[in-house]
Formats: sequence, C-alpha cells, structure tokens
Amino acid sequence: MQVMPSREHIQQSLSAALPIMLGYVAIGIPCGILCSSIGLDALQVFLLSALFYSGAGQFMIPNMWIAGAPISAIVASVSLVNTRQMLYSASFAKACEGARKRVSFLFAATVTDESYGVNMAKFEEGGWSVGRATMVNLFSQTSWALSNVLGVLVGNAIGIPLAIASFAMTSIFICLLCTQKITAANGVAVSVAMIGVFLCKAAGFSGPAILIGAVAGVVAAMVFSGARAR
Amino acid sequence: MNELMGWPEFLIVFACCAGTMLVCRVVPLFLLKGKELPESVSQALGFIPPAAFAALVANDLLTPGMFDAGLWPAAAPLLAAAIVVVVGLKTKSLLWCAITGVAAYALLLMI
Repeated sequence: MQVMPSREHIQQSLSAALPIMLGYVAIGIPCGILCSSIGLDALQVFLLSALFYSGAGQFMIPNMWIAGAPISAIVASVSLVNTRQMLYSASFAKACEGARKRVSFLFAATVTDESYGVNMAKFEEGGWSVGRATMVNLFSQTSWALSNVLGVLVGNAIGIPLAIASFAMTSIFICLLCTQKITAANGVAVSVAMIGVFLCKAAGFSGPAILIGAVAGVVAAMVFSGARAR
Repeated sequence: MNELMGWPEFLIVFACCAGTMLVCRVVPLFLLKGKELPESVSQALGFIPPAAFAALVANDLLTPGMFDAGLWPAAAPLLAAAIVVVVGLKTKSLLWCAITGVAAYALLLMI
C-alpha cells in the first residue's frame, strides 16, 4: 500500500475540499471572534477547533456561556448535537472496508457535516479512496482551525455578518441535497426529515432536532419501501 | 451572564465535548466495518444522505414562528435557497452554490 499520497491525489482532494475550506473561512472567523468574547485565547480556540472541530458546537459553547448556562448544561447540549455524527460514521463503514485501521480512525475522527457530504458524493461517483477522503477532511480542518485563530487575533477588525456568511454552508447542504437520486423513497426520507426537524424545534428540542429528523426520515423511507415491496 | 471562561472551565467543556464527539465519530464506523450487513441495514444506511441533508437544510431554513416578524425576513432565505436549488440542479457545483447562495441572500437582505 502506498504510504505517501501522490501529487495527483493531493490535488484532487484539495479541489474537492475547496468549497468547504472557503465556507469555513467565512464562518470560522466570526466563530473565533465569538469565542474570544468569552475570554478564550488563541491557544484554547486552536485546541477546540483542531480537536473538537465542530461548527455548530463551537457556536453553542460561547452562546450558552454568555446566556449564563452552567457547564453541565453546555456539555449536555453540545453532546446531544454531536450525536448526528453517528449516522455519518455508520454510513462510511463500507467505504473503509479495505482501509488500514489508523487511516480509518483519522478519517472517522475528522468527519463534519460538510466533508461528509463531499466525500459521500465522491465515493458514490466511484474512484475515490479513504486516503483522499481523509485529505479532504484534513484540508477542511486546517482551514477551520486557522480561520478560528485568525478570528481571535484580528477580533472585530473584520466585520463579517454571520447570517450571510453562514448561508454559504446552507447553500452547500442544498446543493448536496439536489444531487441525491430522485426516487419516491428518497422523497419520503427528505420530506419526513424536514417535517421532523420543524416539529422538534417547535416542541423545544432544538439540540437533537437534526438527529431526530434524519432518523425519522430514514425510518419512514424504510417503512415506505417495505410497504411497496409487499 | 457568566464571567469570562478560565482554563479550568475551558478544560472541562473541551474534554467532555471533544470526548463525546470522538466517540460519536469513530465508534459506529468500527462497529460496522468489515461486517456482512443485512440487506435492511445497508438499505437504511443508503437513506442517511438524503435524510441528513434534508434535516440540515430544514434546520437552517425553518424555525417555528419565523413569519412572526413579517413576511420578508423569513422569505428572503427561502427565496435565496430556491435560487441555490436551480444552480445546484444545473451545475452540481458546491462552489457555485455557495457563491450564488451568499450573493443572493446578501442582495435580498438589501432590498
């Protein structure tokens, strides 16, 4: 097995990661600014971005801290939001079949919403490898960590309106949704997931809304296919 | 409001959040890896992408009571999203979608 990635593979990974990296710059800087407003320094923000590496989580921590939430509540809520990663992890099991343990671990440990989408699409196209997928993750992670630190260092000198910047991520998710196969069962998964998220938020469960909505979508699509097969 | 977050509080939050995150990211993959999965499980895994993206999009765009502040503040992101759908279907490019999405949303907010 090849140890060093080839130049060609690095280029492929970089070009796949580019939209994510740009998006992470746009939301990483405001995230760093927010974290520094509760007293975190560049080192702390770097550790958080490099090892915890979660956009949603890193916005939640300072927001909840500012709102006066106790540490236990912050940890519980953020952990609940983390749970959706289990779905991504499970769906990459097949792709990692032949890969070495250490590479699979590094890959799994650096999956995010965005890199999950990009790599999933690449694996479905075919001709993709866990090595290249891991590089996509690492490029994205580097962009996220550096942008966050930049946010701490430059502070409010750069005024990026967060609502507009974060729409870059929303747009990436919309694009990934558009490229799914159009089947009746997928349609059921999509509609039920969306309704599920809305209902969760309406009931006050914003933390696990994404996970519950997505699981409801998967279950509904399974029931639908089962009923049709009969 | 809490006071500024110091190292002790930071370390607790950091260790707990990073720890649960690592478990969620790594454990399911290693549990399922190398196993011959039953048909129903692999079918369920195949429904994860559309369901997950739909959930993420809905989470960003839909909030109960979103029209309380008037039609426009809530309709602007929905309209921008519709534009992104068109670009997504035509180009299938993440970069173009991100650029048009941000531009469209920024322009719509200026109106």
